[in-house]
Amino acid sequence: MASGNMKDIKRRVKSVESTMQITKAMELVASSKLRKAKLRAEDARPFFDAQYSLMCRIAGETENLSTVYTRHREVKNRLFIVIAGDRGLAGGYNSNILKLVQQTHGDDYSPKIIAIGKKSAEFFTKHEYDVVAQFPGIAEHIKTADAADIAQIATDLFTKGEVDEIELFFTQFVSPLVQTPTRMPVLPIDAPTGGAVPENKAGTTYDPSPEAVFNRVIPKLITSLIMCAVNESYASELGARRTAMENATDNAEEMIASLSLMYNRARQEKITNELNEIVSGANALN
Amino acid sequence: MTEFKLKILTPEGVVYDGMAESVIVRTTVGDKGILAKHEPYVAALTIGQAKIRIDGAVRIGAVSSGIVEVTKDQTSILAQSFEWADEIDVERAEKAKALAEERMEQYKDDQRALDIAEYKLKRAINRINTANIKL
Repeated sequence: MASGNMKDIKRRVKSVESTMQITKAMELVASSKLRKAKLRAEDARPFFDAQYSLMCRIAGETENLSTVYTRHREVKNRLFIVIAGDRGLAGGYNSNILKLVQQTHGDDYSPKIIAIGKKSAEFFTKHEYDVVAQFPGIAEHIKTADAADIAQIATDLFTKGEVDEIELFFTQFVSPLVQTPTRMPVLPIDAPTGGAVPENKAGTTYDPSPEAVFNRVIPKLITSLIMCAVNESYASELGARRTAMENATDNAEEMIASLSLMYNRARQEKITNELNEIVSGANALN
Repeated sequence: MTEFKLKILTPEGVVYDGMAESVIVRTTVGDKGILAKHEPYVAALTIGQAKIRIDGAVRIGAVSSGIVEVTKDQTSILAQSFEWADEIDVERAEKAKALAEERMEQYKDDQRALDIAEYKLKRAINRINTANIKL
């Protein structure tokens, strides 16, 4: 138990300390970014909800509407739009959403993928999915044009009949501590089930025609759907990262405390040993 | 005048949630006026202005594309962006206009980039015009 051990402990304390500095810094960065992202996600939510319910309502009210967007076909090919983060070190954020995707399709079929976020793109490429398109690194400053691109690709595949169903996977931001991986059907648009159809059904006038409104509006709706989902996910990512980094910092503190205890013990032991040696040496002289 | 519930929503947040007396919006087929007890109605909006009468005073807003929906209970304007005339940053709009014009020169061959630039230009012009309207 000599000075070698003490040196080791000291070295470990130092390395834990520098890790702690990094996790601490990441925690601070995540929490300051989170504040902005949270506002953005929360501001967009009423719009998102209103659009989604409008989309369902139009589809429900105009049953005999002959548009490709509402037509249910036999589902042969599915498209999943999956939003994950660009960076790791965010606790379960990335793995949770990717796990949800895997659970959803199971062994039954393999979906086509549009991957948003670097981690999502990497995962699906590695597991040899059919990745139609990938958009890494757009989450932080997503623009309407980016979302419009994604919506365009997705709706094109759908209208051409290459896919028969589109689902969106994103992480809903419930609170900075709670984020829920969510799966949302996009196309074909479902009529609201049950009593959700308003009684003034069929009374609505569409200008100039239901088809025209629908075909113009649907790509826009999907664009904002994607935009809002990306914003939600990004806020979730930051929330998850902040929590993960907070835990890491706490753990590092604990580790440092226990290592310093070990160090002090080793030091004490060394002193005791030295004293013993001196005393026994003195005794031997007498 | 009889009032009705009006909601204006954008991805950036709720712009207005309250009562209004009349609404005029620019749809893809022309301007449309909405008063209380209007029949259920849905139309797509283009870049243009919205004139909204609240408590007897008319307020004007710059709208970029969206949807207007009238139901029995309320009227909603879901727009990509909505700015009241008195809140428009004209300087920023002028800058956006100049930039869009520059882009249109620059990307003459790229149809997609050209479309985006043109859309931005229209929006900037609409915002400038809206801000300059004197009531």
